[in-house]
Amino acid sequence: MQHKAIKRGKPEIAFSIFNYIFFTLLCIVMVYPFWHVIMMSLSSVEATAKGGVFLWPKGFNLETYAKVFNDPSIWSGYFTTILVTLSGTFFGTLFTATTAYPLSKKYLPFSKAMLLLVLFTMLFSGGMIPGYLLMKNLGLIDNRLSLILPGLVSAYNVIIMKSFFQSLPESLEESAKIDGATEVTVFWKIILPLSKATIATIALFTAVGYWNDYFSTVLYINTKERWALQAVLRYMLTNTNQAMQSAGVSVAAATNVTAATIKSASVVVATVPILCVYPFVQKYFVKGVMIGGVKG
Amino acid sequence: MAVSKKRAPVDFGARCRQTWKDMVKYRWLYFLLIPGIIFFAVFKYAPMYGLKIAFMDYNQYDPSKSAWVGFDQFIKLFSKRSFIPVLRNTVVISLLKLIIGFPIPVILALMMNEMRSLKFKKVSQTLLYLPHFISWVILAGIIMTLLDPDNGLITQFIYQITGQRVMVLTNPKLFVPMLIITDIYKGMGWGTILYFAAISGIDPQLYEAASIDGAGKWKQALNITLPSIVPTIVVCFIMNCGNILNAGFDQIFMLYSTHVYDVADIIDTYVYRMGIENADYSFSTAAGMFKSVVAFILIVVVNQIAKKTGNEGLY
Repeated sequence: MQHKAIKRGKPEIAFSIFNYIFFTLLCIVMVYPFWHVIMMSLSSVEATAKGGVFLWPKGFNLETYAKVFNDPSIWSGYFTTILVTLSGTFFGTLFTATTAYPLSKKYLPFSKAMLLLVLFTMLFSGGMIPGYLLMKNLGLIDNRLSLILPGLVSAYNVIIMKSFFQSLPESLEESAKIDGATEVTVFWKIILPLSKATIATIALFTAVGYWNDYFSTVLYINTKERWALQAVLRYMLTNTNQAMQSAGVSVAAATNVTAATIKSASVVVATVPILCVYPFVQKYFVKGVMIGGVKG
Repeated sequence: MAVSKKRAPVDFGARCRQTWKDMVKYRWLYFLLIPGIIFFAVFKYAPMYGLKIAFMDYNQYDPSKSAWVGFDQFIKLFSKRSFIPVLRNTVVISLLKLIIGFPIPVILALMMNEMRSLKFKKVSQTLLYLPHFISWVILAGIIMTLLDPDNGLITQFIYQITGQRVMVLTNPKLFVPMLIITDIYKGMGWGTILYFAAISGIDPQLYEAASIDGAGKWKQALNITLPSIVPTIVVCFIMNCGNILNAGFDQIFMLYSTHVYDVADIIDTYVYRMGIENADYSFSTAAGMFKSVVAFILIVVVNQIAKKTGNEGLY
C-alpha cells in the first residue's frame, strides 16, 4: 500500500489526466488554423460569404485552385524559390563545413581569433540599410544571386558544425595524414562522410531559411518574374484584386468574398510543400539543436 | 633589466617563426577557409563598415561626395518627435513578449517531461514545433483570414458571444495583444526544445535516489528537473535580453497598417520606411545602428551579470 502511494498517488493520476487533456487541446489549437484555411480554400464562394466554415468545406469545389494556378506569378515564384533554396542550401552547407572544419582545429594559428570574428557576427550586424547599399554597390539588385548570397553561412551553423567536428576522434585523421594525404583530402574523404547527420541538419535549417525568406525579395528584387514564392504570396494576400485580374477573374466578379477563398488557396499552395516534408525531417532539426545546445 | 629587454624580442621572433612554420604546414586548412573568409568579410563585415554612413550625409547619386557630419544624424533621430514613440513601442512589445512568453516553454517542457506515453509525447512535440517552420507571410495570411472583419472565424465567434464585430487588426487596443498571442503560438513549441536537451542530460540516478527518499513526482520535478535546467534558462534569458530591441520585424511588418502605427511601429519598421521607402539612408542607418549598439551592450552586460551570479554565460 505504501509502495503504491510513493509511485503514483491520487494527485499524480489527476495531474496525468489533466496533462493529456491539456496537450490534446493544445495540439488542436496548433493545427486548427492550418485546417481552417484548407477548408476555406475548398469551399464555395457563397458558403464562405455566409460564414461558418468550421470543420468541413461547404460547397466543395476546386475552382479556387484553378484560379490560383492560372496566375503565372505562382509558377515563377515557385521556380525562383526552388532555384534559390537548392543552390543556396548546397553551397551554404558546403561553405559552412569548410569554414567550421579548420576552425575546429585548436592548433591552427589564428583559428581562435577567426572563431571570435565569426561569433561577433552573432552579436552585432550592419543592419538593413548597409546591407542594401552593399548589394547595390555589388550590382546585384534585381539579380537572384542577391537572394542566395547573404544567407549562405550563419555563425550559428558554423558553431554547430565546429562542435561536431571537435567531437570526432583525432586518430581518424592521423593515419590518413601519415599516408601523406592533405587536410583537404582528409576533410573530403574521411570527415564529410562521417558527418552526414549533422550536414543534413545544417542543410535543413538553411533550406527552411531560404524557403521562408520574404524580405530579401522586398529589398533586392524589382522584377515580379524574379520574386520568391513568399513575396508572390504576400502580394496575393494584400493586393487580391490585382492578383485575381492576372489570374483572369474579372474585377466585377471579384467581390470581397472571392478574395477570401483566393487568399486561403494561395496560403495553402505555399504551405503544403512544408507540411508534406516536415513530419519526415523534423527529427533532424531536433538533433541539430541538441548538438548546438550543449555548447552555444 | 637589459637582459629581459633583449630576451623578449628573441622569444617573439622565435614564436613568429614557429607560427609561420605552422601556417605553412597547415596551408591546406587555410585553403578550406577561403570561401568562409570571403563570405564573412563581404556579407558580414562590409555592412559593418557601411555603418559609417550613419556619421555622414549620404549622397546616393555620388557616394564619394557624402560629407561627414559626426553625430548629427543621431541628434536628429532623438530630436524627432516620431522616434520616441517608436522606441517605446519596441521596448513595450518585446518586454511583453518576454514576460508573458518566456516562462511558457519552461512550463510546457516540465509538463511534457511527465508524460508516460512516448508516442503521445512525440506526436505533440511534432505538432507544437510546426509553426516555427512556417513563415510569417503564411501565418499572417492565416491570421488575416481568421480575423477578417466580415467572415473571419474568430470575428464571427466573438460576434456570436458579444454581438460586436471587433476588428483586431485595425484596433490599436487589440493589436499588441494579438501580436503577443500569435508570437507565443509560433514560438512556444520550439522554445521547449533546448529545455528537453537539458532534461535529457540529467542523471537518472538522481530520480532513483529521490524516490527512495520518498519524494513524489511533483517534488522530483521541482527539486531535480527544474534546478537542472536553470543554466539553460539563464542562457535563453540572456539571448532574449539581447533581443529586447527586436520586437519581431517580420511579424509586425506583415500585420500592421496605418491604423495601428501608434502602437505597432517599431525601430525596424521605422528603419525600413525611412531607408527603403524614403531613401533617407544616413538617417535610417543611424536608427538601425542605435539598435545594434544597444543590443550589443545589453547582451554583454546581461552575460556579465549571469557570470557574476555564478551561472554559466553565453560565452
